[in-house]
Amino acid sequence: MTGSRRREPLVAAAFLMPYLILFAVFVLTPVAYGFWISLHNWHILSAQAPFVGVKNYLGVVRDDRFWRSLMQTGYFVLLTVPAGNLLSLLMAVGLNQRIRGEAVYKVCFYMPVVTSVSVLAVTWRWLYARDIGILNYYLGVPVDWLNDPKLVMPSLAMMSIWWGAGGNMLIYLAALKAIPKEQLEAASLDGANSSQRFLKVSVPSITPAVLFCTVMSVIGASQVFGQSYILTGGGPADRSLTVSLYMYQMGFGQYQLGYACAVAYLLFFFVFAFSAIQFRLMARAFVGSS
Amino acid sequence: MEGLGGGPVRKTLAIALIFAVVGCSPKGYAPRDRDGVLHLDFWNGFSGPDGTTMERIVKRFNASHHDIQVRMQIIPWGTYYDKLTLSLAFGGAPDVFVLHAQRVPEYASHGALADVDRYVRDYGPDPRDFMSRQWNAGLFNGTRYALPLDCHPLGLYYNRGLFKEAGISRPPANEAEFEADARRLTAPAKGKWGFVITDFHLVGSTVFDQYGGGLMTPDLTRSALDQPASLDAVNRMIGWVKDGGICPKPDPGGSWGAFQTGRAAMAIQGIWMIDSVAHQEGLDVAAAPVPRFGPKQAVWASSHCMCMPARLPSDRKKAAWTFMKYLSDNSLEWAKAGQVPIRRSILKSPEFQSLPIQREFAKELPYVVYEPFSVSVNQTASFADIAVESAVQGVESPRAALKTAAQRVNRVLELR
Repeated sequence: MTGSRRREPLVAAAFLMPYLILFAVFVLTPVAYGFWISLHNWHILSAQAPFVGVKNYLGVVRDDRFWRSLMQTGYFVLLTVPAGNLLSLLMAVGLNQRIRGEAVYKVCFYMPVVTSVSVLAVTWRWLYARDIGILNYYLGVPVDWLNDPKLVMPSLAMMSIWWGAGGNMLIYLAALKAIPKEQLEAASLDGANSSQRFLKVSVPSITPAVLFCTVMSVIGASQVFGQSYILTGGGPADRSLTVSLYMYQMGFGQYQLGYACAVAYLLFFFVFAFSAIQFRLMARAFVGSS
Repeated sequence: MEGLGGGPVRKTLAIALIFAVVGCSPKGYAPRDRDGVLHLDFWNGFSGPDGTTMERIVKRFNASHHDIQVRMQIIPWGTYYDKLTLSLAFGGAPDVFVLHAQRVPEYASHGALADVDRYVRDYGPDPRDFMSRQWNAGLFNGTRYALPLDCHPLGLYYNRGLFKEAGISRPPANEAEFEADARRLTAPAKGKWGFVITDFHLVGSTVFDQYGGGLMTPDLTRSALDQPASLDAVNRMIGWVKDGGICPKPDPGGSWGAFQTGRAAMAIQGIWMIDSVAHQEGLDVAAAPVPRFGPKQAVWASSHCMCMPARLPSDRKKAAWTFMKYLSDNSLEWAKAGQVPIRRSILKSPEFQSLPIQREFAKELPYVVYEPFSVSVNQTASFADIAVESAVQGVESPRAALKTAAQRVNRVLELR
């Protein structure tokens, strides 16, 4: 007995190793190597990549386009995360009512999540097209969804919410289903109506799910790329340029890999800091509610 | 919302690692096969009907050359430069490849391209047979790195049906005629427009060139976007769009569609767009040289330039040059796919003169303007485009937009 217990860490390591090796080779090493690259003037075609220290970082923070892209990425997060999570939660609550054909709805709502962003973006380009788009056809007004500097981010956000809502919906639904029935029954016996049951019993129980979904949504939305890359290319006039797209333009449009890696690291820093703050705030709220 | 980002940060870093790993083992070139035949790889981005034409020319070359056989690979332009750049940096590069004229300085400055002056001298073609502006494409710091194959300028596409309806007999040649014609063709209430801006970069560059401003000063040391001429050029374009104008608010996604469907009577676009309007039923389109809007006659153009990698062994270089020269010598065939040849002998030939649209575009050859042959053009060109777009769309005042753009361009030029 004691012998097998002593072997346990080894067994655990054996199970973890395949993932750890892949993680080390394909995530950790590139992440570290990316930092190394960010310290060099690294053009793909150049034979030498001279070490330049933090020059790339200084270049990025002095570039007005970086700050614009950062502000717009923040705007995108604000537009998508609260509204998207609310929609996911509403769909989950709806599906939790033991309705007929629940599985069909689930599949329908989840379908966009498994579809690639390029396919969706190309489809939405047709929906959004000013003169020949279906959206404007039914609205009857030529709305410039993707070409109006003020409308472009909300348009991208709308598509993104539709795209991603199904993923969080499943998590919320699982959390809702995990609430012990006894608690809800007890609440109704005590005279709580359905909205009171939802707010006082269900919501506190699913707080961990809300925390998880919000943080993941923020991280995901901060890296928004495919939507603006395919639908607008960052336009009109850079008004849908996001940090990831800016990084891509620097890295693969201009082949300035050092600079692009510096942008990547700055984005990483911002997302990391923001997630940490979020965890703190949400954890406090979580403790306060229980 | 798990799918929102797809982790491009991580992807970039991963790709960077792959570069490093792959970079250790550049691919060698296959030697001659047993019969002494040399196989050359030829890459280009001709994914449209032009690819079919090029394929035919390559087939003919292969049939007439027993010791050299060319394998052509078409990679759509959208991903072409990524793939080509990686192959040049880390191995697997083709023997012959196409670069747009404005990309030659960038690749040459990093030592990726073979110097071909010697081949021109020893094997031809005769430089005197080339139109002089076009022959300059492929030069960097006085050394030749590419053989230009063609020239693709912009032209004024106009809807002959709509022109006839409005009683206009010939395409406009200058700003006054252009505005007058466009005004007669414009009826905003009916959704009819005289003109449509289909591309900020192409139209913007052309108008800048006509006014004498633009991305960089002629010595390529700083931006010319903050010069008064650039402001005049942008104001000209704003005038087309501003209320009561002749051009709808530009919509880069659908503007060419507006021309194709007859909602706009004129558009300025590249010769490569011929194919998208030539075979459309009920659409009677013709082309003419771009009108003169500013003080100077000028129009944006580029060329497909044939290059070979610097690291190519010399016997392959010689074979590659044989093939490149063959393509140039046979560029009449290539012209039929919607290109303008740049060899004087071909331009004069009756066969070329019988191509109605190409013939019109060819009139522009003496005054076309290439993008600045600067190593930084790829890094900076979008700054000018953004300024033009902001100003024309009314997002920013033209002066402020141009000032920002000039600062951005200068920052890149100073860092070099």
